[in-house]
Amino acid sequence: MVIAGEHRLWRGRCSSEIVSGGPSHLPLGETNDAVVLAENLRHTYDGRHYALDGVSFTVRRGEVFGLLGRNGAGKSTLIKAMTTLIQASEGRLRVLGLDPTRDGQRIRRRIGVVQQAESFDFTTVQGNLDVYGILWGLPKEERVRRRERLLGQFGLDELRKRRAFDLSGGQKRRVQVAREFMHDMEILFLDEPTVGLDVVMRRQLLDSVRDQVRRGLTVVFTTHNLEEADYLCDRVAVIESGKILMLDTLEKLKRLYGGKKTIDLTISDGDPPRFFGALTAALGAGATVTSNGMSAVILTDDPKGALAKIVELSPALGVQLEWLNVRKNTLEDVFLHSVGHGGESIASA
Amino acid sequence: MPLPNLLRLVYRNIKVNTDPGSLIILIGLPGMYLVFFGYGFSAGGSGTVYLAFLTPGIMSFQSVMAGTVGGSMLWADRRWGMLAQLLSGPFTRLQYLLGILLTSMLFGLGGAAVMLAVAFSLLHSLPTDPVAYGVIFGSIVVGSIFFGSLMLLISALVKSNTAYNSIQILMIFIVNFASTVFYPLSAGLPVVLKALFNANPLTYIADAVRGAYQGHLTALDVYQLLILGAETAIALFLAIRSYMRSDVSYE
Repeated sequence: MVIAGEHRLWRGRCSSEIVSGGPSHLPLGETNDAVVLAENLRHTYDGRHYALDGVSFTVRRGEVFGLLGRNGAGKSTLIKAMTTLIQASEGRLRVLGLDPTRDGQRIRRRIGVVQQAESFDFTTVQGNLDVYGILWGLPKEERVRRRERLLGQFGLDELRKRRAFDLSGGQKRRVQVAREFMHDMEILFLDEPTVGLDVVMRRQLLDSVRDQVRRGLTVVFTTHNLEEADYLCDRVAVIESGKILMLDTLEKLKRLYGGKKTIDLTISDGDPPRFFGALTAALGAGATVTSNGMSAVILTDDPKGALAKIVELSPALGVQLEWLNVRKNTLEDVFLHSVGHGGESIASA
Repeated sequence: MPLPNLLRLVYRNIKVNTDPGSLIILIGLPGMYLVFFGYGFSAGGSGTVYLAFLTPGIMSFQSVMAGTVGGSMLWADRRWGMLAQLLSGPFTRLQYLLGILLTSMLFGLGGAAVMLAVAFSLLHSLPTDPVAYGVIFGSIVVGSIFFGSLMLLISALVKSNTAYNSIQILMIFIVNFASTVFYPLSAGLPVVLKALFNANPLTYIADAVRGAYQGHLTALDVYQLLILGAETAIALFLAIRSYMRSDVSYE
């Protein structure tokens, strides 16, 4: 019904939206292009700890919306709530204008879900696609047509007679994603779909999803791989400890740190905590030093000055410089900087 | 016109559970009981009498096998992620549960029909009274729902694969051999064993099916079927309740 026909430009069509835990300004159900609306969502599994803790955001029709976060940050819980597998303990949620607590089945008829975990029937690759097509009520002719197209598109032609459980991790993942495209949908929820894939397979899978997005599909995508979020997503929300720390277009998030550059530094010998402590003090408020063992990432608006301080301090503190690299900010830097604030909400300007 | 959700789920359940290995366990094993026990003991001097006795017993046993199919389907779907996948699709939890029970019932009826065919090939006779077939059909349907509900209840509550398999094997053994499937209830049994036989729902099913098959259905058989119906309603209620409350979401 939806994934064919509508053409869109890749990237750049979304306006900025800044959410930092507070309620949306848009009354629920009053936006034409919002396919998911969440207002102050909270969810607890044990009555004490909140896996979601006041999450508010919208997902707009036709965009790829990324949920970025570390393991246990709350991404999968949020996906479960949006796909009606769990009911959020508090707050309001609308998916395709419907309330998941009342209209779960109506929502599920219009969405696709690729779980983080494996899910297969004990049959062949082709059989898995066929059975799924039957479950979604596809007429035989259409089922066969889609199956053949997807087997080709996802590079599964030669594997069609193999049992799905006998495949490698990457092959299984491709079968799971291909299978989901057996039916029409308005939103596709992908919960870390590239886990276990090698670089080539990951790119193939992302390209296949991107191809569907070009035809108008909305995708909600969770990952802790920042490169693929950079490759696929129009907007990303950085989630940590059940809270959304940042939400914006990728370009705006990267511009958050304006003219700042990132210095990657690896040392040997000496006393690393003492060295990085001294460096932090020497660089002052214009830089952020995030250290991890013998390495550190320095975010600074004065890379030349920072390099001079590093070169000056290292012999004085008996430290050997092993690796020094200055580069532009990446999404990873934004991510590390935001979660490095220990849950403090950050909004872009 | 697309099939209703329930029938789509039943189709899927049958398609993914009818591999040769499963069929050997489901139908081959009881069939071999019939041939080796039935024919073997009959050859020992009692003519075809024991085979005629065992046939309805083994047909009844199909309701237990059908129940284990249902429990195993839920277990496998949960273990291999298909439960969460199906429930994030267009199906409700209740539809999924009813799909499993209906599939179990079809396996029970199909297995019983195969046993009847095997027995016919050995005995060259079948019941001629349509009422007998009605009673056999009804008994196996209710029995399949009872054992299906019981196994669904267990698979919804038990978290470990090993524990589930152990419970299933133990249950099959006790239910099977503490019933009138293989031998009649003897007056000489110790009181405890006799109570176990009398409380075993498979005894009720076997007695009713045997009564219908051999043309001497008694009031006691009908009374036992009514008790079985009540027990089935309770088991079904408990299975639905525990399943609806259980966590099906993926991690």
